[in-house]
Amino acid sequence: MKLTRFFAAALAAIPMAAAAQNFAGKTVTIVVGYKPGGGYDATARLLARHLPKHIPGKPTVIVQNMPGGNSIVAANHVYNVAKPDGLTIATFNRNLPIAQLTKVEGVKFDMTKFAWIGSAANEATILAIRSDLPYKTFADLRKAKEPIVIGSTGPGANTYDFPLLLKDLVGVNFKIVSGYSSSADIMLAVERKEADGRAGSLTSLRTFIDRGLVHPVIRARAMQPGLENLPVDEDLAPNARAKAIMALRSAPEQVARPYVMPPGTPADIVKTMRTAFAKAIDDPALKAEEKKAKMDLDFTDGDKAVAILRDVLNQPKDIVDEFSKYVKFGE
Amino acid sequence: MLDAFIQGLLLVVQWKAFAFMLLGIGVGFWVGLLPGLGGATTLALMLPFVYNMQPVEAFAFLLGMHSVVATTGDITSVLFGVPGEATTAAIILDGHAMAKKGEAGRALGAALGSSLVGALIGAAALALAIPIVRPLVLTFGSPELFMLAIVGLAFIASLSAEGARGMARGFLAGGLGLFLAMIGQDPQAGIARFTLDSMYLWQGLDIVPVLVGLFAIPEIVELVVRGTSIAGNVAPGSIRHGALEGVKDVFRNFWLTLRCGLIGTFIGITPGLGGSVAQWMAYGHATQSARNSEERKRFGEGDVRGVIGPGAACNSKEGGALIPTIAFGVPGSTSMAILLGGFFLLGLVPGPDMLTTHLTVTFSMVWTIVLANVITVLVCFLLLNRLTSLTAVPGHLLVPVILVLVFIGSYTSNSSYADILVTLIFGAVGYFMVIAKWPRAPLVLGLVLGKIAENYLYISVARYDAAWLKRPVVVALLIVAVAVVLYPAFQAWRGRKKASAHA
Repeated sequence: MKLTRFFAAALAAIPMAAAAQNFAGKTVTIVVGYKPGGGYDATARLLARHLPKHIPGKPTVIVQNMPGGNSIVAANHVYNVAKPDGLTIATFNRNLPIAQLTKVEGVKFDMTKFAWIGSAANEATILAIRSDLPYKTFADLRKAKEPIVIGSTGPGANTYDFPLLLKDLVGVNFKIVSGYSSSADIMLAVERKEADGRAGSLTSLRTFIDRGLVHPVIRARAMQPGLENLPVDEDLAPNARAKAIMALRSAPEQVARPYVMPPGTPADIVKTMRTAFAKAIDDPALKAEEKKAKMDLDFTDGDKAVAILRDVLNQPKDIVDEFSKYVKFGE
Repeated sequence: MLDAFIQGLLLVVQWKAFAFMLLGIGVGFWVGLLPGLGGATTLALMLPFVYNMQPVEAFAFLLGMHSVVATTGDITSVLFGVPGEATTAAIILDGHAMAKKGEAGRALGAALGSSLVGALIGAAALALAIPIVRPLVLTFGSPELFMLAIVGLAFIASLSAEGARGMARGFLAGGLGLFLAMIGQDPQAGIARFTLDSMYLWQGLDIVPVLVGLFAIPEIVELVVRGTSIAGNVAPGSIRHGALEGVKDVFRNFWLTLRCGLIGTFIGITPGLGGSVAQWMAYGHATQSARNSEERKRFGEGDVRGVIGPGAACNSKEGGALIPTIAFGVPGSTSMAILLGGFFLLGLVPGPDMLTTHLTVTFSMVWTIVLANVITVLVCFLLLNRLTSLTAVPGHLLVPVILVLVFIGSYTSNSSYADILVTLIFGAVGYFMVIAKWPRAPLVLGLVLGKIAENYLYISVARYDAAWLKRPVVVALLIVAVAVVLYPAFQAWRGRKKASAHA
C-alpha cells in the first residue's frame, strides 16, 4: 500500500518536475511549418543543436517538419492539439498574423494567445536594382520614364507585396512580373536582363550585392546592419493611410522567425525558454556557425513580439479593408 | 585548366575525402532504395554534419550521397514497380514489365549500365561546359523555358499508343495532368484554385504520393490478383542472371544512351524545369527509336530501350544541374538549392569565382560524381543476382512489405494523412487507366510541366508582350515541338512503307 502511494506520488511528481524546469531526460520538439531545406527549417535546426546546453537538465531538442497551408497546419496543431508542457515549440510563417487579420479560411488560432518565446531574427526587406542600369538611388527610380521590370514569385511574398506598395502608393514606374518559381530563379532573370531588379530579404540578396550584380535602393522598416543609409518606404508615403498600409505589411518582418509554445504553457517554463533562446543566440559556438551559413540571428523577446503583433491585429477596419486590396496572405 | 582537372582528382582521392564519399554513398544507397524519402530531404538533414569539414570532404560526402540516389532508386522501380524516387518513375514502364517477364537481371543490368554512362556524360558536360557556361545558361530566358516545356508536352505523342485513338487518349491524359497542375495557389493573383477548401492542396499536389499511387498501387493489386510472385510464370532458376546481358544492351544501343544522357544534362542545366521532366522526355525519345509499329507496341511491355533512356537521363541531369548552381549561385533543382546552403557553410560563394579561383574545387565535384557512380554501380552488381531473386518471392509474402514501404514513402512527403489519401485516389485512377489501356505517362508529364508552362508563358507575355514569339530559339524550339508531335505518324508511315517493300 505504501509502495503504491509512493509510486503515485512519483508519478504525480513528473509534471511537477517539468514545472520546476528540469528537462533532464526529456525531448523538446520544435515543429517547423515547412518542409526541410528552407530558411525557417535551417534556423530551427541551428537552434536545436545549441539550445540543449542552455536549458536546465540539457534535454534533447529535435526538429519535426509539419508543412501545409503556408504553415497554418502547424500553427493550428500547436494551438489546439499540442500539450502546454514546455516540450513543444513551434516556428512558422511570419505572415500568419496577416492570415488572421485578413480572415483566411482555415485559421484556428489567435496569434496573441500563443505562449511567445520570441523571434530569432529580423528579416529586412529591400529592393535591389541591377547595377548596370542608370538608377543609383531610389530618387533616380522615381524619375524613370521606362517601366522598371521587377521579377517576383507571387502575391503574399515580399518579392511581390513590397514593390506593389511602392508602385501603387508611391507611384514608382514598376512593371511587376510574377510567376518565377523561387527567388533564385528571379536572380537568374536579373542576370540575363529579363528583370531589372527584385525585392526580397537582405539574407537572400546579400551574395548578389557583394558580387556587384545588384545594389539596394530602398528598405522596409525592419532593420539589419549595413542598411543604415537606405530610405525607408514608410517615410515616402504620400499620406497617413498609405503609411499605415506599408507599416502593416512590414510589421511581421520584425518577428521574422517566430518561436511560440501552446497557449497555457506555465509562465515559468516560458521564462526558462526565453532565457535559453537569448543565451543560445548569443553563444559564440552558434555565432560561428551562423556566420558560416550566412544567417543573421537576433533575439527579440516574446513580450515585444506580442506587442508588435497586437498592433497589427488592432488596426481599424477601413485600414484592414484597404490593406487586403493590396496584400494577400502567402508564403 | 588541365592542372586543376588533375588537382581536383587528387583532392577527392585523399583518404579523408574518400572516406566521407563512401559514407555518403552508403547513406544515398538506402535513401534511393526506399520509396518516398527523397534525395533533397536527405541532403537537408545531412547538411549540419558538414560544418567541420573541409570543402572537398563536404562535397564528397554530399555529392557522393546525392549522385547514387537516382541509381539505387532505379532498382526499387524495376523490381517492384514502386518509384524509388520521384525521378525514377519512367523506368517502371518497361523495367518492371521486364521483371514480370523474369528478366529483372537484364533490366537492372541495363538500368545500372545506363545510369553509369549517364552520370559520366553529365560529369563530362559539367567539365566541358565550364568555359561556356555563362552564355549557355543566359540564352534561356522565360520564353525559351516556356517553349522547352511545350517540347516536353509534345513528347506525349511518343508516350501514347499508335493511331488516332491512342493519340486522343494520350493527349486527354496529358490534359488531365495539366489540370491537376493547376491545383493550389496561383502565382499571379494569389487565388486558391481547386483546393476543395483543404489546406493540404494550397501548395499544389505533391508529386511523390501521386506517382506512388499511379504506378505502385496497380502493380500491387495485380500481384495480389495473380497470386504468384512478380516473375510469376518463370522458373526461379532462370531469373538469377542476365545482368551482363543488360549491360551489353546499353552498348548495343549506345547512341540512344548518349542522346538520352544529353537530354538529361540539358534539362539539368536549365534551371526551373525540374528533375522529374528529364526521365519522361528521355523515355519518349527512346520510343522514337522503334523501327516499326510492332516494335513500338512492345514499349511498355518490357523493351530494354525503355529502361536505358530514362536510366541515362536521370543520372546525367545531376551533372547538368550543378552547372547553374556553380556558375551563378542559382540552383537548378531542389537538391541543388540545399547544396547551395552547403557552399555557404564552407565559406564558398558560388558564382564566377568557382570557375576561376576555386576551379579545383569545381573539378573535385566532377570527380566525385564520377567516382561515386562507378563505386555504386560496382557494389550493385555484386548484389544484383540476390536482388533479382526477390521477384521470385511469392506475392503474399512480398505485398505486405511493399505496402508498408509505399505508404510510409508517400507519408514522408508532407507527414499528413492526406498523402495516403492522395496515394489511394491515384492508385484507383492508375488501376483503371491500366485496365482501360490509357497511358499514365502523359498524365505525369502534364502534371510536372503544367505549372512551369503556365508561369513562364505568363512571364513571357507580361515582360515582352508578343515580341517573345520572334526570338530565334523560341522559333527553333517550336519547330522541334511540331517535329516531336509528328514523329510517331512518320514512324508508322515508314513502318508501312518497309512492310510493303518486303511484301
